[in-house]
Amino acid sequence: MRARVRDGVELYYESTGSGPVVLTLNNFFMTTPAWRVVTDELSVAHRVVSYDLRGHGRSSHPETYPSWDDHADDVVGLLDALEIDKAYLLSTSISTVLARDVALKYPDRVKGIVLAGPALGPRGMRRHRLVQRAWLLTLEHHGMAALYAHLYPEVFGAEMIEELGTPGFLGLRESFLALSTKEDLTNGLKLALTGESSPDLLARVQAPTLVVIGDDDVLLSPSGAQELAAKFPDGRCEIMPGAGHLPFLDDASGFQALVAKFVDEVEANA
Amino acid sequence: MPDQVTQTRQRIRELLVEMHGPDSFVRNVSDTVSLRQQGLSSAALVSLLVRMEDAFGFEWDDDIQPEVLRSISSLADHVVALRV
Repeated sequence: MRARVRDGVELYYESTGSGPVVLTLNNFFMTTPAWRVVTDELSVAHRVVSYDLRGHGRSSHPETYPSWDDHADDVVGLLDALEIDKAYLLSTSISTVLARDVALKYPDRVKGIVLAGPALGPRGMRRHRLVQRAWLLTLEHHGMAALYAHLYPEVFGAEMIEELGTPGFLGLRESFLALSTKEDLTNGLKLALTGESSPDLLARVQAPTLVVIGDDDVLLSPSGAQELAAKFPDGRCEIMPGAGHLPFLDDASGFQALVAKFVDEVEANA
Repeated sequence: MPDQVTQTRQRIRELLVEMHGPDSFVRNVSDTVSLRQQGLSSAALVSLLVRMEDAFGFEWDDDIQPEVLRSISSLADHVVALRV
């Protein structure tokens, strides 16, 4: 399905289930189909809406790559197009920045935010940005397959890497190469190096916030995640044992249960 | 060598049929077409690669280039090359 937002831009989206709306926010390496297998249980009692960011996947690719503000406006544009008043935002890695921005810019449209494997840090984002800069350099100088080889051991937990073995490394690479183009990833990673990085902003987020961290996330430690959650006025933290930077891939059921519990608690207190 | 290639392609087809059934996309897929474009998911590709290790008695290497994994033909060529 496609929804028209500002400037004639159309966003590709999928909507499954009914109930409180959970809107997924892609990191720049993901497109909509990737959410299907990690939100299937969530969509039993919730409406899960996933979409491709402007300039990515099957959504419009304008001549000028969007800013963080454009992406935030698109979230609300999509909610308007789908006649959704408020939603929970489910973000991962760099899209946790987008969740923060939407919650700050449009507090009346956000019921809660989930930050899985946040790019946000309790003292800033410098470490994450250095990692993203290294990914960008690899992409620009060596291409997509080399980028995949670079980020695979940083993004996946050790348990998952051992379990999947070489067939997993090779098989998932096919998916990675098929889902994005070098241009889309280059644009996304360049944008990731920009924007507000101060942790002081987090104190202004009114929406209830859940930080989910794998205890094998090499980009943010569990204690760092707990410290991060404490920066939000209504923040909490859940640690997933053995999971990496994308904890919903290590344990999709466990992750969805955490999100459902968070949403249900916020709904109950509304 | 041509026989080896043909036999290997056929065995890979059999592995795909074991995974997806005889009435799936496998029936009509050509040897050279991209398996991913035919709908083979990443999870299914991982499963195929594991099955190939068992069927042909080898282990995949992390340095394998993406082109090797594209089609039945490219997969079979890799297996045959390992045996030379």
